[in-house]
Amino acid sequence: MINTIRSEWIKLRTVRMNLVLFVIAVAFPVIVCVLVASLGDIKDLRVADVAGLVAGSSVITALLLGVVGAVSISAEFAYGTIRPTFAATPRRMRVLASKAIVIAVFAVVAETLVVVICYALSSAIATSRGASFSLNDDSQARAALIGIVVFAIIVSLLGFGLGMVIRNTPAAVAILILWPLVAENIIFLILTAAGVSRPRRFLPYTSGFGLASTDPANHEGLSRIAGGVYFAVVTAVVAAAGAFITSRHDA
Amino acid sequence: MITVADLTKRFGRTTAVDHLSFQVRPGTVTGFLGPNGSGKSTTMRCMLGLDRPDTGGASFGDRSYRQLSSPLHEVGALLDAGYVHPGRSGRNHLRWLAASNGLSKSRVDEVLGLVGLDTVGGRRVKTYSLGMRQRLGLAGVLLGDPHTVVLDEPANGLDPEGIRWIRDVLLHLASQGRTVLVSSHLLSEMAQMANDLVVIGQGRLIEQCTVEQFVARHADQWVRVKSPVADVIARAVAAQGAFATMVDATTVELRGVSAVEVGELAARDGLVLHELSPQTGSLEDAFLEATAAAQQFASQPMDGLS
Repeated sequence: MINTIRSEWIKLRTVRMNLVLFVIAVAFPVIVCVLVASLGDIKDLRVADVAGLVAGSSVITALLLGVVGAVSISAEFAYGTIRPTFAATPRRMRVLASKAIVIAVFAVVAETLVVVICYALSSAIATSRGASFSLNDDSQARAALIGIVVFAIIVSLLGFGLGMVIRNTPAAVAILILWPLVAENIIFLILTAAGVSRPRRFLPYTSGFGLASTDPANHEGLSRIAGGVYFAVVTAVVAAAGAFITSRHDA
Repeated sequence: MITVADLTKRFGRTTAVDHLSFQVRPGTVTGFLGPNGSGKSTTMRCMLGLDRPDTGGASFGDRSYRQLSSPLHEVGALLDAGYVHPGRSGRNHLRWLAASNGLSKSRVDEVLGLVGLDTVGGRRVKTYSLGMRQRLGLAGVLLGDPHTVVLDEPANGLDPEGIRWIRDVLLHLASQGRTVLVSSHLLSEMAQMANDLVVIGQGRLIEQCTVEQFVARHADQWVRVKSPVADVIARAVAAQGAFATMVDATTVELRGVSAVEVGELAARDGLVLHELSPQTGSLEDAFLEATAAAQQFASQPMDGLS
């Protein structure tokens, strides 16, 4: 298993696109946070606002990590490298588990880096402009900063699952990105029109994003933990379906 | 020793491999011969546990491929030199392959040197020629120093020098007692590389025999050379292990050597040629005849073209 993990780690870091995505995934929220902290209104700024800024701007990080997860398997089908991979390690579940571990660890490292840098920079800038707050003030803000890292792990594995099921890079990436941006909005409208109460709680992605909410009481959906578990379960179902297909099909 | 027994693989209604059985013995190069679409690649994928056969299977020694714990140490396989990520360097491609079976980084550099890619190992694969990709694929095969080697059309896209190099590598591996199975759809190419032949058509076994038996049973092919120094050419190619038959003072028929090689030899030694023509006797015809019933995509006579 260690050998397979090492092999998958080499694969991940030796493709330039992954490095480019990593840089964008880290740089984008950092730039947004620095700009907002420098130019925004800091009157009455609370720690929850800073945590919300960090969590909100690093959603893009989670999505890009999802793209890395999707491409890590769909590119193997596209270039045919899945065949030498399974020829070198005939136990396919071991390969898929190793990929999942590498992707999840990559996501933890990238998203933690983003949260730490973004929070440190934006709070330093805001403090220098006269704001005064501390993470000790607000347990929900602390939970949101940890929640965004958990959210990123789940999104990266959702991308991996979609990549296994769909086996096609553009399609897998499109669904990964359009699901939260388009599909859940449409479902939300349909459920609302149908008179379903609190329809947000049925939307996996929206529920999952509750992990990073600084004000979960106002979220109208599931609670932080319940929403995260719901999103994780949906992701697990997609990944399990992908793993089943990949292990049963001809490579 | 590779044993393929009663292997059948269907894709929908198409039967790609049909109750195929053959054996590949160690210490010799076995050619896996058949027209395009005859099921060679499917057979190899089934052998390596990549495709699930409908019946039968393959064993390496006494185990199936999926039972091998570190396959690269036992079976080196190259299905398609194109199975590489174009954005990854050749060295990094070998590194992930090596790591998956616990092989070291230094072994990667070693095999890169063996196939002559040590100076371009750091370049991305998309900049490689087809021949370089075949060499990279062969480096992957050699990584784990396996006792069994399975190659699908390794000479595809190679120039004559590359084909000769592949042949020399395969013969060397076989001479060390390894089991070597190599596929091709070209009999002429196979005749240069292999000792044993497994000939299939439409997924069924047509013949398993030695190249000599196949040649004796069917016919031959040769290169006809007309030259004022035909006797010099005859001696030169004979020294390389080919057979020369003088037809008259200025005409010689050469067997076991290609027209390309004769042409290059003549150019190198400054020998005048008046004619250099490959004579495709009835061997290729015989091969086509033997597999004609099994041709999936038979050509029609091109009467309409003029």
